[in-house]
Order: sequence, then C-alpha cells, then structure tokens
Amino acid sequence: MIRRKRTCWTAILLVCVMLVSGCSIWPGQNDSSSNKKVALTLWYWNRSIDDKLIAKAKEKFPNIELTAQKIGGDFKAKLKTTLAARSGEPDIVALNDWIMELFPSEDRFYNLYDLGAGDVEDQYLDWKWKQGVTPDGQMIGFPMDTGPTALFYRADLFKEAGLPSEPEEVAHQINNWDAYSAAGEKIKEKFGGKVFLTDNIGTVYNQVLSQGTERYFRPDGSFIGMDSPLVKQSWDTAVSFKQKGLLANADGWTPGWNAAMNNGEIASFVGAVWMKQVLQEAAPDTSGKWRVTRAPGGDGNNGGSFLSILKSSKHPKEAFEVIQWLQSPDNQLEQYKTLNLFPSAPGVFDTPAMKEEEPFFGGQATGPVFAESAQHVPEAFFGERYPSVHNIITRRLNDIAKQNANPEQVWPDTVQRVERELQR
Amino acid sequence: MWEHRALYVAISPFYILFAVFGLFPIAFSLYLAFHKWDGIGVMTYNGLNNFKYMLTDAEFWQAVGNTFMIWIYATIPMLFFALIIAFLLHAPFVKFRTLFRVGYFLPNVTSIVAVAIIFGALFANNYGFLNYLLQSVGLPVVEWLDAPWGIKVAISSMVVWRWTGYNAVIYLAGLQSIPQTLYEAAKIDGASGIQSFFRITIPMLRPVILFTVITSTIGGMQLFTEPQILVGNDGGTGAAGMTIVLYLYRESFINNYFGYGAAVGWGMFLIIALFSIVNWKLVQGKSS
Repeated sequence: MIRRKRTCWTAILLVCVMLVSGCSIWPGQNDSSSNKKVALTLWYWNRSIDDKLIAKAKEKFPNIELTAQKIGGDFKAKLKTTLAARSGEPDIVALNDWIMELFPSEDRFYNLYDLGAGDVEDQYLDWKWKQGVTPDGQMIGFPMDTGPTALFYRADLFKEAGLPSEPEEVAHQINNWDAYSAAGEKIKEKFGGKVFLTDNIGTVYNQVLSQGTERYFRPDGSFIGMDSPLVKQSWDTAVSFKQKGLLANADGWTPGWNAAMNNGEIASFVGAVWMKQVLQEAAPDTSGKWRVTRAPGGDGNNGGSFLSILKSSKHPKEAFEVIQWLQSPDNQLEQYKTLNLFPSAPGVFDTPAMKEEEPFFGGQATGPVFAESAQHVPEAFFGERYPSVHNIITRRLNDIAKQNANPEQVWPDTVQRVERELQR
Repeated sequence: MWEHRALYVAISPFYILFAVFGLFPIAFSLYLAFHKWDGIGVMTYNGLNNFKYMLTDAEFWQAVGNTFMIWIYATIPMLFFALIIAFLLHAPFVKFRTLFRVGYFLPNVTSIVAVAIIFGALFANNYGFLNYLLQSVGLPVVEWLDAPWGIKVAISSMVVWRWTGYNAVIYLAGLQSIPQTLYEAAKIDGASGIQSFFRITIPMLRPVILFTVITSTIGGMQLFTEPQILVGNDGGTGAAGMTIVLYLYRESFINNYFGYGAAVGWGMFLIIALFSIVNWKLVQGKSS
C-alpha cells in the first residue's frame, strides 16, 4: 500500500515538473549574453511601419535590442486588455485614430513633452500634433501618418455627363456640397440612374463633419449639443443626398462596394489618401479613369496613427529616441514610398517622390493634391466619447438610407439616444 | 478522506482550472455588474444603475426581441429537418449510412467564419447568388441584408445549415435506442407506418427532443459569431441582426462599458434560465 502511494506521488510530481519545464519561467537568460543591451518591445500592426525600416533601426541603435511584434486580429482590444491586466505591456505601441479613447488613461503613458518632443514640434503638421495631446496638455502620441481627404472622381463619367473633368476645373466649379449634389443629379439624369454620385450616406456625413472645426465636445469635455450647426449641416447634407437618390448604398469594405466601384456604378467619393490603395485593389478594371482633386466644401482628415510609450517601460529615453528616428521626416518619406503612408511632416511634401505620376489616376500626380489638403485640415477637438456619439448618429443615418426611415422622426430619436448615452 | 489525498491531488487539475477560468470570471462579472469601469481606469461603485439602464434601454430590448425571432426562425426548421434526416438515415433501405452520418456532421465542424463569408456572398444585395437566381427567373431582387426580416433569415439559415446535421445525429442515436420489438408488435396489431411513427417513435424520442430543444435554446440565446461576421458589430441596418451577446460584446469591448456589459450578461442568464424552464414544461408537459 505504501509503495503504491509513493508511486502515485512520484507520478504527480513528474507531471508537474514536465508541465512547468515546458514554459520557461526563469527570467534573465538573455541579459547575461548581450552586454547590458537595453531591451525594448514595439507593438504595431501590418503595414503601419515598414519592416525594412525596423531592421534599419536595429542597426542604427546598437545599444538597443528592439523586438518588434506585429499584432494581428483586433489590435485595440488586445492593447486594452493588456493595459487592464497591467502585465506584458510593450514599451512602444502604435495607436490608430482612436487615440482619444485612451485620454482618460493618460497616466498610463509617458508625457512625450517630458522626453523632449517639444524640440521637433515644428517639423510636424500642427493639427496632427495636437491630436496626440490630451486636454491636460500631456502628449501621449507621436505623429505617424495622416489621412488628408480629397475628391476621388471618374473623369470619363464626369465628362460624359457634361461636367468638368480636369482636376483644377472640378475643384474650381464643384467647390461646395450644393454644387457637388447638383453634379450628382446631372450624372443621375445622364445615366438613367445606373451611375450614382457617391457610395453611401456615412461617407457624406463623415466628410462634411471632418471639414469643420468642432465635433460633439468642447475641449473642457462638455457636450456642444446636437443643435451644433456643423452636426446639423452634416446630417442635413447626408439626408438630402439620400432624398435626391445620389447614393449607391454600397458600404465600404464589402464585396458589393468593390463590385460597384469596378463596374463603374459610382462616379466619385470624398475619401482619405489611403483610399488610393483600397480603390486600386477593388477596381482594377477602372484603371486610368480616376482623378483626384480638392474636395467640395474643404479639406479634412480621416484616420492616421501615432506612437506612444507606456508608463511601464523602464527605458523611456531610449524608446523616445527610437520613435523619433522611426518617424523622422526622412523616414516618413521612406514609408510613403514603400507603404503609401502619408507623411505628417510637411517638410518632405516638396520632394520628387511625393510628385510621382500614377497610371491608375490617368498619369496624374495625386501627391500634391493631398499635400495641399493636409496643410489645410481644420484643427478640431474630438474628446474620448467621440466614437460612441458618432456611431449612434451614423447608425441612424443608415436606417434612413437603407430602410427609408423618415428623417423627421429619426432626428429627435437620435438626439434622445445621444443624450441618454452621455448620461451614463 | 485525508488518506486518499494523492487521489484528490490527481483529480485536482479540473477543479483548479474551473476555479480559475470558470468560477472566478462568473463571480467577477457579478461584482463588475455593480460597477462602472472602462476596462483600464479605476472601477467605481455604481449600485443598481447598470441594471436600471438595461431595463430602460430600447436597444437591449430590441436585441432580446431579435434573438428570439432568430431563435424561432432557426430552431423550428432545424429540428424538423433533423428529425426527417434521422428517420431516413435509420430506414433500412439507405445504403452508405456512415458516409451520410459523417456528411451531415461536416457543417458543424466547418469554420464559422468561412461559413459566414459564404452566406454573406449568397445573401448580398448586389451581386449576391440568391438575388442572381431570383433575377434569372424574372423575380424582383430582395434586399436581404437591408430588410429587418431579411437579416434574420440570413442569420437563421446559417444556424440551420450548421446545426441540422448535429441534431440529426443525436436523433439517430435516439431512434436506435428504441427497441425493435415495439414496432414488430405494432405491425402485428396492424398499425400503419405513420401510426407507429406518431405513437411509438415520437413518444419514445421525447427525452431526446427535450435535450435538443434545451441545447438549441441555450445555443440560440448565445448567438454571436454568425451575426457579427455577417452584419458587423452594430447588427446591420436598423440593428436587425443585433443579438443579446453581440450587444454585450459591443457595449463591453467596443464602447468600453464593461460594468454594463456584465449586467447584460446576467440579464441574459436570467432570460435563458426562464426560457429553458418554459421549454422544459412545454415539451415535458404531455407525458407527465
């Protein structure tokens, strides 16, 4: 009996040893071998930083052991759970334009101003820089790429409908949303309703809103109210596009959108610079027919990213050196060439690489159009609750566009839902 | 008891894992339901506010309604087809039975994401396969993914496709456990095939039917991946595909109201419990 018991215990012990030895829990194995190199980890997503540039950074900083991890899946959710768990945090992390959601947790990040970011502030677009600064004046995000917007349009369809087709003429004649809407009616008439002016109601609302100087909140955090002139104007413009039948109701990132673009059912849309890539992949058959010009109603921004240093990092100084180097104007230009990431450093806008002619856009050099737009983006405060309010409104607009809900009834209901949302 | 401690240690992994990954999250979500938490910052006590908000939240009740509608759209045809398939598989004239059994089980082990993408292509408004078929026989197209009922039909059809075979295999096991002598006795007494189906097969299958109804109730109430991939985190146009779990997910992980998300989880628990009891009474009712 005793013998059997002992074998039993030995077996359990063995299993435990095998389980534990599977995952190495002894730290510091690397420290001894690498002469006190500073170890830094960096989280980014595919195509947000050029992999070759990261390889170069490792050469550039021989005293730093940089581990760059490409995080797949839902990047934001992964970052937030890691922040909540307070363990396994990287030193440097890339953030998308949802950076404002993290402003309430600014104490979890280093203030980049403390690390010397102020010295290079004048090299970057002012409005972009300010998007990384919290209302308390802490800078938690260093500028990466931006998303200046412009009007993408089909020159051939515009011409056929009797509209101007050269970029300068289009920008000159279709310079506000009313003129744009009138152009849409001409297109609709000419093609018997088979070609739509633009893709969906959300695009219209977003773009009108992005051209303004205010969103839903004031910098002190208070709610401007749904009767803000800009919100009302964006809403009314979007609804009028629906009522005039100018929308193809094709949602972005769907096969239907790709097909509608490729089949020439959509004549134009206002989109950010990164839509160039999306469009080229979605609509290869329309190559050479697209042009880009300054958007009706003004310039705006949609998207763009930042780099941050988490407070848990033990080497903020070195981390900041890496960030500053990765996003230096020259390296941003490098990444424009390799990954089409639009620089946030206006100093490189005049370089030949930014003025290259593109066959997809009929030989037009679209770089200068976006560069011009990027320099005129109005500065606006978002606030950490921007996404939830914005989401409620765009959802209700979709009901109007696709289920023919009555705008007169949807508006008060939307106002009520937003107000309820803000109470919790 | 102490003398058997080695054996208790040997079976302890399950209890330890359950405590860490099962019991703790359940207890924590109950704690969380009474707090306000954005997932990163500090938790503040919020009393019953999360529950109060939930009870007066139009979107929550819409999600509850949607979930029930999708459950009805899916479960009734699913169990009906499953019973017919099981009956056919059990019939003596069917050959290659094992092949069919494997075949019917296949949808259940197919990646749900792949399934959702295929169904998305079938039901797409423009260039969708179903609309192509409708058009080719001269019928008007249906805006499947923009109509409230269309979205529900699309989601339900994914559920039916995925779970019919699974339930059929369970019914088949039930059928095989019915003693053949009962049918023989009925035959001698002059009962027809239909009579023996309704008088012998169905009553004898009652416990199995009860099991499938309860499992598909729980599964149906927890529907998440299908609508999320098919129509997105907002439940599609007019939130017609917003189910309770999708709503819980959106409120917690998209809008960062983790406390509220936990409250919704407990609300869902109550609904499932109540609904299961009702189902149990209904199915069980006749025999007792």
